Formats: sequence, C-alpha cells, structure tokens
Amino acid sequence: MSELRSIISAQNAIVDSADDLAIDLTDVHKTYGRKIRALQGVTLQVRSGEIFGLLGPNGAGKSTLVKIMMTIVRPDTVQGTVLNRAVGDPVALARIGYLPEHHRFPTYLTGRQVVEFSGAMSKVDRPTRKKRASELLDRVGMGGWKDRPLGSYSKGMRQRVGLAAALVNDPQLVVLDEPTDGVDPVGRREIRDLLIGIRDEGRTVLLNSHLLSEIENVCSRVAILVQGRLVAQGTIDELTSSSRRYEIVIEGSAPAWCAESASVRMIPAGQMLSAGIQGESCRLVFLGLDALGAQPILDRLRSEQRTVVAAQSVRESLEDLFMRAVTDPTTGLIYRPGAAT
Amino acid sequence: MMQTIAIFVGAYRELSARKIFWLALAISLLVVGLFACLGINETGISFLGWTFESPMFSTNTTSPETFYKLLFVNLGVDWWLGVLSTLLALVTTCGIIPDLVAPGSIDLLLAKPITRTRLFLTKYCTGLLFAALQVFVFSTASFFVIGVRGGAWEWTLFAAVPIVTFFYSLLFCMCAFIGVLTRSSVASLILTLLAWTIIFTINISESIVNSGRIANQMEATKIEAELANTDDPVDEDKLEELTSDLEKTLANRPTWERAHFWFFGVKTFLPKTTDTLKLLDRWLLDSASMPSRNEDSERGPQQAFGPKRVKRGEFQRAVKADEQSHSIWWVLGTSLVFEGIVLGLATVIFVRRDY
Repeated sequence: MSELRSIISAQNAIVDSADDLAIDLTDVHKTYGRKIRALQGVTLQVRSGEIFGLLGPNGAGKSTLVKIMMTIVRPDTVQGTVLNRAVGDPVALARIGYLPEHHRFPTYLTGRQVVEFSGAMSKVDRPTRKKRASELLDRVGMGGWKDRPLGSYSKGMRQRVGLAAALVNDPQLVVLDEPTDGVDPVGRREIRDLLIGIRDEGRTVLLNSHLLSEIENVCSRVAILVQGRLVAQGTIDELTSSSRRYEIVIEGSAPAWCAESASVRMIPAGQMLSAGIQGESCRLVFLGLDALGAQPILDRLRSEQRTVVAAQSVRESLEDLFMRAVTDPTTGLIYRPGAAT
Repeated sequence: MMQTIAIFVGAYRELSARKIFWLALAISLLVVGLFACLGINETGISFLGWTFESPMFSTNTTSPETFYKLLFVNLGVDWWLGVLSTLLALVTTCGIIPDLVAPGSIDLLLAKPITRTRLFLTKYCTGLLFAALQVFVFSTASFFVIGVRGGAWEWTLFAAVPIVTFFYSLLFCMCAFIGVLTRSSVASLILTLLAWTIIFTINISESIVNSGRIANQMEATKIEAELANTDDPVDEDKLEELTSDLEKTLANRPTWERAHFWFFGVKTFLPKTTDTLKLLDRWLLDSASMPSRNEDSERGPQQAFGPKRVKRGEFQRAVKADEQSHSIWWVLGTSLVFEGIVLGLATVIFVRRDY
C-alpha cells in the first residue's frame, strides 16, 4: 500500500490547476456515530471532461464520499470544490446529474414523468425538460415505453430511465452509482457507449462501480478507496506501471545463469522475478522490463539453442491492482470489508 | 416555485394513483347524496318519499336552510370529515414522510438544488392535499345541495376547507414527526391515532369537568337567590334543605375549580382538534334559528353533573357560552404553537440527519 500511496503523492504533485478540476476535494472526514470512521482525510481530484472510476470494497466509503458531494451525508470536514463551487452549493447541484444506487422512483409515474420531475427539481424550464425528456428516453432506448408506469418496467429499464433523469438538466458533472446494476450485457454495452458519448460532449463522469472490467473499459482515471482512505489515484497505466514485466517461456529447464543472475551481466540485477517450471517448459519473469529490454535476454537464450515458446510484455490488470490495494502487505490478508472502527 | 409545483403535482399523482383516495372521494359524494335525499316538511323528516314524524325537526321548528346546515356541520363535518375521512386520510398519507426519507428516494431529492427545510415543509404540505381536496369536494357538493334543497347559497360553507384542513394538519404534524423519527408508516399511523385518542380524551374530560364547574356555580347562585327570596320563615324544612345544599355545593366548588384548572392547563398546550371543528358551528349556525324542545321548562340533571335547580336550556346555553368565550385566536393560536413546535422538531431531525 505504501507503494500505491507514493503514486498518489506523485499524482497530486502534477495535478492540473483547480479550474480544470470538476471535483477537487481534500481532507474529507466522516465518522458515523462515534466509532465508524467512514472517511479519513480523503483527497480526490477529478478532471473536467474525463470518466473517473471510484473503486473499493464494500464499506470502503465510496458511497459516503459521493453522498457528501451530493449533500445527502453531512461531512465532519471537507475542503475544496465541486464544479468550482463549495460542496452543496445549489448552483453546482443544478449542474450535476446524479443516479444513486438502489434508487426508488415512484412506480406510479411514467418514464417521461420521472424524467420531467427530475428536470423540474433541477430548475429546468418546462418546455426544455419536456423536449429533453423525449430525447433522452429515446437515447437510452426507452422511447417506446416512456408513457407507461415504472411499475411495469424491469430493473434494467428503470436503470435506463434513471440515467435519462440524471441527464435531463444538461449536467456538467454526472455522478453514477452502479449504473449498470441489473442491466443485461447488451444494455451494459449501450450504457458504456452512452457514457463515452457523454464524455465526448465535454461532460465529466464520476462512475462508482463494482464491475472492474466496466471501469477499465471506460475510465481514463481511477481512485481506490480502502477503509475510508484513498490508496491509489491516477490513470490505470500509471497505477500499473510498477507491475510491468516481461515473460519468456522456453522449453526445458531454466538456464543455470538465471539462478545466478547477479553474475550474468546481460541480465540487469533484480529484474528476474521468478523461473517457474511448467511441465516441460519454463517461464522466466523479468520485472520492469519491456520488449526492448528483453531483446538481449532473448538473444542469449537463442544463442544457447533454447526454444522460445512465448514471449510477451505483461502488465497488471485493474483487478490485480485492486486486489493488491485491498491486501494488507504485512500479513498478505485481504482487509475486512467495512469502514475502519 | 418550479420545484414546489413539481412536488405538489407529484403528490397529486401519488394520491390519484391510490384507490383509497378515490374511495374516500366517492364516499364523500355518497354522503352528500344522502343529504340531498333527506328533506324536511311540516310533519318531520322525509327520505325518498317516506316521512318520519319528528317533534323537533319540521318546517314548523326549523327552516330547510338550517336543517341542511345542521346536517352539514353535525354529520358531514363532525363525523364524516372529522372522523371517518380523517382516518382514511391518515391511512393514505401516513407513508408520505417515511417514503420521503427511504433510502434511494431521499437521495434523488437531496441531490437537487433545494434546501432540506423547504423540501420537508413542502412535502408536509402535500400531505394536507388529501384532506383539502376531500373537504373541497364535500363542501362544493354540499353547497349545491343546500342551495337547491335549502334555498340558501351559503358561501361561508367553504370555511370548512381551511378549518378541516387545519384540523387535519394538527394530526398530520404528529404523523410527520413520528415518520421522520421512526421512518415507519405503520408506527406513524398507530402513534398518531394514539395521540389523537389522548388529545380527544383530554378535551372531553376538560369539557365534562367544565360542565361540572359551571353547574356548581349556577346551582349555588340559584340556591342563594332562592334563599334570598324565601319570605316564609315557617317553612324551616325548605330553609334547611336549601342551606344544606348550598353548603354541599360550596364545599364541592374548590374540587371542581382545581380539576378544571389542571385539565384546562393541559388542554392549553395541546392542539384543539374538537374546538377547531366547532368553529364552524359559530360561523354557520345561528343559535336563534336552532330547533328547540322547549327545554327551559325542564329541570334536573339531564346530563352529567347538571344542576338540579337550573333549567336544562339555561345550563346548556351557559356551557356553550363558556366554550365560545375562548377566542378564535386562542383556539387556533395555541394549536398553531403546538403544530409549530412539533413540525420544528421534525424539521430539525430531517435537516440534521445523514441518509
């Protein structure tokens, strides 16, 4: 975790100017009751026009952080701005679209009425919200259902209507909590395309999701929260760069010089991670090495008449990164779910 | 304003989506329909061609206008709107605040540019919409019945709309407070009904004790007057009886006064649900035109704690005069203070809570 924290520091050092940040929060603290420390000094920066993913295990404080931004939860302390205004400023709230997790829209309302009600509550004038409601419901694929009551919708359909409701006020910032919850794979693909479309229109999206593949596919930057603390923040490339490695699979046993790598000048000391035997082949893993750096090693293996079965540059996946973030480096155990007490 | 209108339109849609709302409205119209079927003639009360003879209600004692106003106030407002329709309204609206603060629902509203105080108070007002719509429909229908059947187009009938809505608000503020505190519709309903029962019991108790106090005063005054007018010194038995009764009556007075002081004191701090509805009596019913059974000829304890020596009509007029001696501002003002405190507490809890 200390490695990840150092990445955060580096990120913060090169952070954009405040005007380029849609969300710029520092020192966010929240304690429920006297014991449950949901957030412990979180700092979060989301740039304008990006899709930002918020990750963390259950009870990490993701929803609390989002709810503080949306004034649903009152923080103990919070500094910074959302859309360049203080947290909870009504002008900023009118420019934010929000879809909470497990939302409960009234089932007696039609899809159109839900979207129009959301627009009215965001102070969108009547002609505009009527026009936008129709457009958005068509955009989320609910055009044919807009005049039917929500009670007749599936969960995925309600989610789509919720997305339309979050966009009715033409928001600069869209905050989505598990937007694909209950949506089928085709719907997820459509929502993903929708999010990319929203970003391409210049809006900022803060995406809170448990689906790592979803985050990995659409988010330009992510933050990982664990037990109320931010343990990683940056682009996926930045966060996984330290895990970059090169893997070579050869037939037969590992060359003797692998075991004595320090004495072999062609292999930089400390680069070899492991030499594991897989059946009749052997996998050599070199940490921090890219394809160019691996060429001398490949040359040597070929000169020794070794058969190279496979050679590839490997990078940690978001899931690997996530698992590393939620694992206690001292014990190797995964942190217990829930907030710190 | 746009947000307020949106919340009210949403509330209307919610009400109209509930069958109980239409059921209550249908019953309201049915009750007014029954009023329309009732008539008054020279011998008594008529109903769809049948006539029920009544010494008290006939065109000889009561004008059709007064007859229909009596039906409107005593049956329509006191029983239908004041009890049955109120119960239906509480059943329908007890979920408004718990639904508002339910997870997934409150998030959608708090994320909008509206202050929590305004959101809560607007939602509270939408809860009164049920009562207001019911009373308005009932009053409008009654207005036409009294106009057509009673021959009087009585606009003051519409005073029932603010009065009954205010009466309902006194109950609904408790419902809202319990709702925000417990987040449970069932708890809101049950505890509100319990509170209503307690308030009703205290009101009735105060009324009974006050009657006893007035009876005691009137009895003593009457005995003193009879003693002063007794010229016959020979009738010692009567003199002794009067003296003895006066002593007993005066001995009981501190008890009545003390009991009334406490009941009245408690009642002062509670909402005046019964008194609020009785305001309509003051405005709609002219006591001079009320039917009478020549009660001034009757004596004796016709009701609890009634004086023995005072005529019934005289006693009832004294009690009514005492009840009406409380100004409208006392009735409405003290109730408003109660409502303000309860609603203020509910608002503070709503505003300060995390969701």
